[in-house]
Amino acid sequence: MLFVNGTFRHESSHTFGPSRWSHCRKRGINGSLRSNGEADDIDRGRNGHTDSSYKHPDRRHPSFTTPESTGSVSRCGRQADWGSQVEDDEMRRDVHRDMQRYRRRILGAEFTQRERRASSGSCDSREGDNMETDEAVLLRRQKQINYGKNTLAYDRYIKEVPKHMRQPGVHPKTPNKFRKYSRRSWDQQIKLWKVKLHAWDPPAEEGQDKTLDVVEELNLDDVMDIELDFPTITDSQNTQTSLPIHSLSVEVSGTEPNIA
Amino acid sequence: MENSAEDYRIQSFDLDTQRLLKTALKDPSLVNLEKVSNIIVDQSLKDPVFSKEAGRICYTIVQAEAKQSNGNVFRRHLLNRLQQEFKEREEMRARSLQEWVCYVTFICNIFDYLKVNNMPMVALVHPVYDCLMRLAKPDALMNEDEVDCLVVQLHRIGEQLEKADNQRMNDLFFLLRDGFLLQEGLSSMARLLLLEILEFRAGGWMLSSTAHKQWCVSLLTW
Repeated sequence: MLFVNGTFRHESSHTFGPSRWSHCRKRGINGSLRSNGEADDIDRGRNGHTDSSYKHPDRRHPSFTTPESTGSVSRCGRQADWGSQVEDDEMRRDVHRDMQRYRRRILGAEFTQRERRASSGSCDSREGDNMETDEAVLLRRQKQINYGKNTLAYDRYIKEVPKHMRQPGVHPKTPNKFRKYSRRSWDQQIKLWKVKLHAWDPPAEEGQDKTLDVVEELNLDDVMDIELDFPTITDSQNTQTSLPIHSLSVEVSGTEPNIA
Repeated sequence: MENSAEDYRIQSFDLDTQRLLKTALKDPSLVNLEKVSNIIVDQSLKDPVFSKEAGRICYTIVQAEAKQSNGNVFRRHLLNRLQQEFKEREEMRARSLQEWVCYVTFICNIFDYLKVNNMPMVALVHPVYDCLMRLAKPDALMNEDEVDCLVVQLHRIGEQLEKADNQRMNDLFFLLRDGFLLQEGLSSMARLLLLEILEFRAGGWMLSSTAHKQWCVSLLTW
């Protein structure tokens, strides 16, 4: 059941090609690894509308890492179980609603800017024209954000540090899914955001060691500092825990980092 | 706000289960939500009275869980259990007409109550239609219980279903019209019910006041 162009379409009557997500999937719908170069096949020849498992050969993006979830859910293509379908549907609607709100907010900000004849130095100006609107991209990004937000660390973080007390660079900030970024840039932002959130993990025995493990795991040696235009840590009165990997945090602009 | 047990019709459960359900309504994190969803589904398949309004208690638990922990565990288990039963609906119908009728009543009730951002759950649209189409088949039209179930559900959710998929509603009504006109051996009550639903949809899912009066008279003289 798909919501396409304002109407609900029965799955066997759709008119577009392979699933937008299928080229990113390393595994088929039944969970097994797909071999490289298999063409995407939409005609599943199913009888019922809601019958589950079917073979779904697919092209595979070689280095795509499948995010882990809580249960043994196949995260590929269209989910056959109703629980997942409803969740995906809900996420799609949330993303669309977020998009409308964001557009309104940006247009409001642009209007105020023009009124005051301020220079267009702020990142938010003219952002309405350069907004990410591809649904597939937004959904993927939203899923990644949800993984990060669905943690104890995040819960503890938002309780500890209200939004108006947040300091850029010091406190993790959720990446803005509506900004145009390359895939690599976005994935890196997400990684770094989640690493920063670990500072609010519930107390473990050896907190320090844990963070070092994380650093090694992510191979942050490859990450270069691009811009560091936030106040130094000594200025702040409100930082709770010191972030051992603070020196490696990156302010990512719209461009790709140059690896020397 | 206190919702008494009667609002959710949980009196049919034993006291322990009632306690469990009440806790689920107030504090979902304290209970095993998979177990709760199974309890509700099992009872809905047995108890026609409960199945008619079980959607409400499900809705409240879903909201409570979302508010408390942003979770979806209960909804997911509920839907997947519904899906399981759906896959075996033909066997269910052969085994027990009452269970089948309860199932259809329940899934339609869930469709009515459990909305996503105030829109019906897309995943349920086709399964609900599949169930109603089954009820519109010749062998089902011979059973007054099934016809009754069909028209009741169409009264409750017909308009929403039509909005979700107009073509399938047309298909369903072709079957109903054919059944009404051509099927031999239909009971008079079944015919009356079918005619009423045909007129109901034709009237935009409403009965004009004159039509309503006419129907009241017909039923009184029954």
